[in-house]
Amino acid sequence: MYSDLLQALPAVVGFSNFAAVVIGVLAGIVVGAMPGLSATMAISVLVPFTFGLEPLVALGLMAGIYNGAMYGGAIPAVLLRIPGTPAAVATTFDGYPMAQKGEGGFALQVAVVSSAIGGIASAFALMLLAPPLSKVTLLFGPSEVFWVAVFGLASIIFLLGGNPVKGLISACFGVFVSVIGSDPIYGNDRFTFGQLEMLDGISIVILLVGLYALPPVIDLLETPLKTDGIESSQLGTEPIWKAIPRMKGFWKTWLRSSVFGIWIGILPGAGGSMAAFMSYNEARRNSKHPERWGEGEPEGVAASETANNADTASALIPALTLGIPGTAVAAVMLGGLLVHGLQPGPMLFRENPGIVFGFMWQFLFGAILLILLGGSLATNSFARLLILPRPLLGSVIIVLMLIGVYSIHGRMFDVYLMLGFGAIGWVMDKLKFPLPPVVLGLILGGFAEENLRLALRIGRGDWGVLFQNTTSLVLVALTVAVVVGPIVKRRLTDRRKQSGM
Amino acid sequence: MLHFIRTITIAGSVALAAGAAFAQDHPDKPIEVIVGYSAGGGTDVMARTTAPFIEKYLGDGASIVVKNMPGASGQIGVTEVATADPDGYTLGTFNLPGMMARTIDREADYDQDSFTYLANVVNDPNVIVTTKGGGLDSIDKLIEEAKANPGAVTVGMSSLGGDDHFMLIKLQQLTGAEFTIVPFKGSAPARTALMGGHVAMGILNISEVAEFQEELNVLGVATEERSDFAPDLPTFKEQGVDLINGSMRGFVAPAGLPEDVRAKLLDAFEQLEGDAEFQEAMKATANPVEVVTGDAFKALTGDLYDLARGVWEETPWN
Repeated sequence: MYSDLLQALPAVVGFSNFAAVVIGVLAGIVVGAMPGLSATMAISVLVPFTFGLEPLVALGLMAGIYNGAMYGGAIPAVLLRIPGTPAAVATTFDGYPMAQKGEGGFALQVAVVSSAIGGIASAFALMLLAPPLSKVTLLFGPSEVFWVAVFGLASIIFLLGGNPVKGLISACFGVFVSVIGSDPIYGNDRFTFGQLEMLDGISIVILLVGLYALPPVIDLLETPLKTDGIESSQLGTEPIWKAIPRMKGFWKTWLRSSVFGIWIGILPGAGGSMAAFMSYNEARRNSKHPERWGEGEPEGVAASETANNADTASALIPALTLGIPGTAVAAVMLGGLLVHGLQPGPMLFRENPGIVFGFMWQFLFGAILLILLGGSLATNSFARLLILPRPLLGSVIIVLMLIGVYSIHGRMFDVYLMLGFGAIGWVMDKLKFPLPPVVLGLILGGFAEENLRLALRIGRGDWGVLFQNTTSLVLVALTVAVVVGPIVKRRLTDRRKQSGM
Repeated sequence: MLHFIRTITIAGSVALAAGAAFAQDHPDKPIEVIVGYSAGGGTDVMARTTAPFIEKYLGDGASIVVKNMPGASGQIGVTEVATADPDGYTLGTFNLPGMMARTIDREADYDQDSFTYLANVVNDPNVIVTTKGGGLDSIDKLIEEAKANPGAVTVGMSSLGGDDHFMLIKLQQLTGAEFTIVPFKGSAPARTALMGGHVAMGILNISEVAEFQEELNVLGVATEERSDFAPDLPTFKEQGVDLINGSMRGFVAPAGLPEDVRAKLLDAFEQLEGDAEFQEAMKATANPVEVVTGDAFKALTGDLYDLARGVWEETPWN
């Protein structure tokens, strides 16, 4: 089972495949460091351009970008208190106060080392868990996959944080988009308005480019944010080998946050920002000096940055084995796999072991490369990038989006569709509707419908088919736990408050 | 950032150029072949494998460019071909019975008279497979079970209105047995479901199961003679069940081609059959060859249209 992993190694260290990871990491750091540009966006803009590339070059770029962007977000978070990506919000809590104290350089070094550790842990999780899981997923028939999808939809509840109603509306919008096209069993048209181009449903890549790339670009163009940045002399950087000994007390946080990030990556629904918040809170609860948090506690940066890199590779565990992505970024990557004719599922590991396992190595290398490429010197230059003229950047991205989306099927229809979703995304953004539930609703909604109907056909109309085996029952129990758990918890805390009065 | 942009732009232009990977060193314009499916799919591989041989037989430094117009299970591409200029510079791939079935189960802007029929090139015959350990390891046992418990045998296949579906209809008509159809999105998920034992039986194509003979029982092949592709697999005919069905892929042009252009193109396609190198290339890409040209190809299309029509009248699938 794991021998394929070693056999895939030589291909990955080949020049072009390795260069792809290096370029990906660098590009990712840049993308992450630009407030408004996110990993999801960068990869969805990139996917259409990877048609003509070797699969491992394309996937290497993606793995590199994902890892790089998750660290890159920390740069403006520390220097300007502007999170470069949503996943870096928790990094601002202590990163920025550190920078004000002249510890900005150390904060970024903590961020880069933590990011690398989180990414490495995540890559190992993918390598260890995906192969055995892919053997098991053969046992997942339509009824089991239906429950996995329902469980994923239920996990969206986690994402609803601030405003559950808006989150649910977002998710429902995604589920609605999933029913557009010919229905999965009979092929009847639904909401296609007689357009042949709509028969296959809405391509996830088109939706993502529109939803995730257009609104931030419009923002880039309308708010020419002045970022004078912090002078590199103020960073107070010391060589990384001197900085690392100062982090020796962090190992508990690294371990805990890695586990958190990996777990949240695997769960369909939640992504980097969720992982970072939860792990920050946990690390703070377990800290000897919780009062120092928010005042410039390096461990806070470590907790946030470890977790947001630890959900990268692990998000591909359900994606590669079942076709259900753990995060929005993984969803785009699935699109990238499909572009190269790689069907996720148990067969993928058998038919394309070189590519799947190569991809896993690329995640590992991407994480390790962070230390080399995200070091102090590089970080100083990245910090300068924040001064790039935004209109130029915005225009370049728009052009790339248009060319990329056009090239997917070679038709303008898709471009208009993407612009339409972009407009919707921009409005949602302005009205503070969360975007990840839309993506998950689209993917999981489609999965749930198709597999429910297949299961009912297999059971010849008997709903009992959905509860026939242990796997299904376990998934039902998990789903119930996800929905009921938070409610019970709230009841208990309320009761405790009352008795304490 | 600029470096990044440059990389992406180069990657983009490489991708755009990859579609036009043929030398264009002759005065005439290149011939475009429209493929109604994504790059890398079965039809696309068939078209790209065949293209250089057609170039060779057309001579004069002819060049063929494959253009993918995927969508609506091939309908977008084939509609494009039907409505193109009949000047011999636009050809397209043509799938049977799918392209005819689309004129029955959907609104289509073309019919069987919209094309000049050049050649069918591939016939990927249907096979019936069952899960290992399910006990249904022969066609007789399978039919017996389906007759004893009507509808109890679940059949995984790709979508309704395709060759798999018509194969099952033929089987039901021949034997009077009844099955429950479970249509997946494509053959790969259907095959995976079979391997996991979620459906009892599957109807696929020979190219899709050749590598899976250890995990699945292949009960027979729906051809007249044993297929060169897997000569060890028996036909249904040998087993006393007269089942012939498959997925055909070939080339058409818009109706109304000038006679001399038509003759020239037909001549090129007719030479494929005798080309050993072509046969080898097709075998290597899992494409069982069956060349049927011109009027015979047109007649074949008519037959498959009638079959699809007949099935639709009896049991419409949507």
